[in-house]
Amino acid sequence: MNSHVQETPLFRTENVSKLYPDGQVHAVEDVSISIRRGEYVSIMGHSGSGKSSLLNLLGALDRPTAGEIYFDGQAYSKIRNLDCIRSQKFGFVFQSFYLLPILTALENVQVPMFEGRLSDSARLRKAKELLDMVGMSHRMNHMPQKLSVGERQRVAIARSLVNDPIVMLADEPTGNLDSISAEGVFDLFAHLHEQRGMTIVLITHDEEFGQRAQRTIHMQDGHVRRDVVSSHRRLRTPMPPFRV
Amino acid sequence: MRFHTFVLKNLVRRRVRSTLTIVGMAVAVGGVVALVGISSGSVNSFLAIYQKKNIAIIVDQRGAKQRLTSTLSEDLGEQIAKIPGVKQVDTGLVDYTSLEDLGISALVVQGWIPDSPAMRALNVAPGGHAITAADKHGVLLGADLAESLAKKVGDKIPLFDDGEFTVLGIVKSPIPYEASSMWVSLKDLQKFMGRQGQVSGYAIIVDDPNDKKEVERIRAAIAALAPNIRAKTAEESVTSTTEIRFIQASSWITSAIAIIIGAVGVLNTMIMSVAERTREIGILRAIGWRKHRIVRMIMMESLGLSLTGGIIGTACALVITPLLGKHPAVAGLINADIANPHIIGFGIAMALGMGLLGAAYPAYRGAQLMPTEALRHE
Repeated sequence: MNSHVQETPLFRTENVSKLYPDGQVHAVEDVSISIRRGEYVSIMGHSGSGKSSLLNLLGALDRPTAGEIYFDGQAYSKIRNLDCIRSQKFGFVFQSFYLLPILTALENVQVPMFEGRLSDSARLRKAKELLDMVGMSHRMNHMPQKLSVGERQRVAIARSLVNDPIVMLADEPTGNLDSISAEGVFDLFAHLHEQRGMTIVLITHDEEFGQRAQRTIHMQDGHVRRDVVSSHRRLRTPMPPFRV
Repeated sequence: MRFHTFVLKNLVRRRVRSTLTIVGMAVAVGGVVALVGISSGSVNSFLAIYQKKNIAIIVDQRGAKQRLTSTLSEDLGEQIAKIPGVKQVDTGLVDYTSLEDLGISALVVQGWIPDSPAMRALNVAPGGHAITAADKHGVLLGADLAESLAKKVGDKIPLFDDGEFTVLGIVKSPIPYEASSMWVSLKDLQKFMGRQGQVSGYAIIVDDPNDKKEVERIRAAIAALAPNIRAKTAEESVTSTTEIRFIQASSWITSAIAIIIGAVGVLNTMIMSVAERTREIGILRAIGWRKHRIVRMIMMESLGLSLTGGIIGTACALVITPLLGKHPAVAGLINADIANPHIIGFGIAMALGMGLLGAAYPAYRGAQLMPTEALRHE
């Protein structure tokens, strides 16, 4: 087990359910899991199995229709400003990157930092450092449309790290990437987990990438079907992961 | 990159819509600024007539809705003149007449006492002179009126059905009301209008018009002379005249309509903007923006549009209104007071108010979106 993993749960769900907007079908039903601080967890399952819904609920992007979610011992339903938790503790990476098309890579990375208290120059410096870390310093002034999909995802990862989150929540981050780019992204997650002690929760369809996590949660029809702790984890931690 | 740079980029990327919103706002603000400026200019024009002559108090008939319908006894002037502190009493009769042969249907005509201090104080252009006791059927024309009628000193004008008057002089005045008026002797006007022994009111000149306590004392003393008398300070008199109140009411009603139209325009733009950017708002929420930051972004975009429109509209009103005032159709009637910090400030404040009003609901709606709901939006 990784030395960063602590016994106390960072996330805990108690009988969490989420109904689709039609009110008929459960996206997530009666899910009770714990994720410890510093853990690297992958969530796997077929389309419609409820994995993205579960990730959204963990990340406070959505509210459960039943049950309770705890983060660091605090129930989401009791936290008045979930936005604060989301902005300060979580970093999100999406399959479709969600970069703003009117901004350059460097500007996109700075956008989440408007919530912080950094000066203009400090914001700029930090954005450049992160783009350098993901190997994008040579493309920082390019618009997203001018970047390859792999490069876009690297910019999105840099953006997710700007507020120094303790948790990375990634929804199929390699879904649109070729195998080489996907490899690079997983290497970066491994690096963040190993070197920064970040808690990583990611969704993937890829069995091989899924097995790189310390633990794999398999979902089906909104339920957790299997929760497997890997005994032969295949982490790769090249340093730095995206140097060009 | 700064936050306001991001806001600016959002506005620039939708050039056509931003431009149309700015144009709409500029038209609304420009129209209001022009109207309020004209209204304010009218008040100042009338007030200037009194201030130029040191007139502190205006006396007319209690209950009269306007100067033209006020009727007082000509003898009252002697009683007013005896009140301590009264330096001079000017009287006159004001009425309307028409010059049908010359195509003018409503013309202000003032009957003043020949050789009176007020008559002598008129600024008559060289070549002419004010009406004296020796003149028979003489008339003075305001400069704008003389130009419209194409009359000069010595020309004859048919007045009051069967009268023929000689132009004795052209009165130069920067005040539109005076520049488009005409003057005859009080006796002539009383005779031709069938109002012998009557005057419209009195203008009271006091020793010190700036001594408000003394002016108030004299005003009260005049009001006590007879039950049908109404005595007001010059400023009160101007702002309470029906014409001025009508102009002010019209400008405020038009302003209110323009504000509603402007706010609806901004509301439409911002609602469209929020609807189009639902997913983007979801992204911003997901990557850490709090609700208040979304509200701030939408508000700043709206204020950016409205402020730009407000500045352009005010600037256009400043330039265009005086030019329109020179058009022959309105020459002498409009004296816009737009280059006035209060009116410019009003225009800008109005634009900001419309921006805030128009953005309030879209900002609320944008902030209430759940990130997942917004991210699902196509």
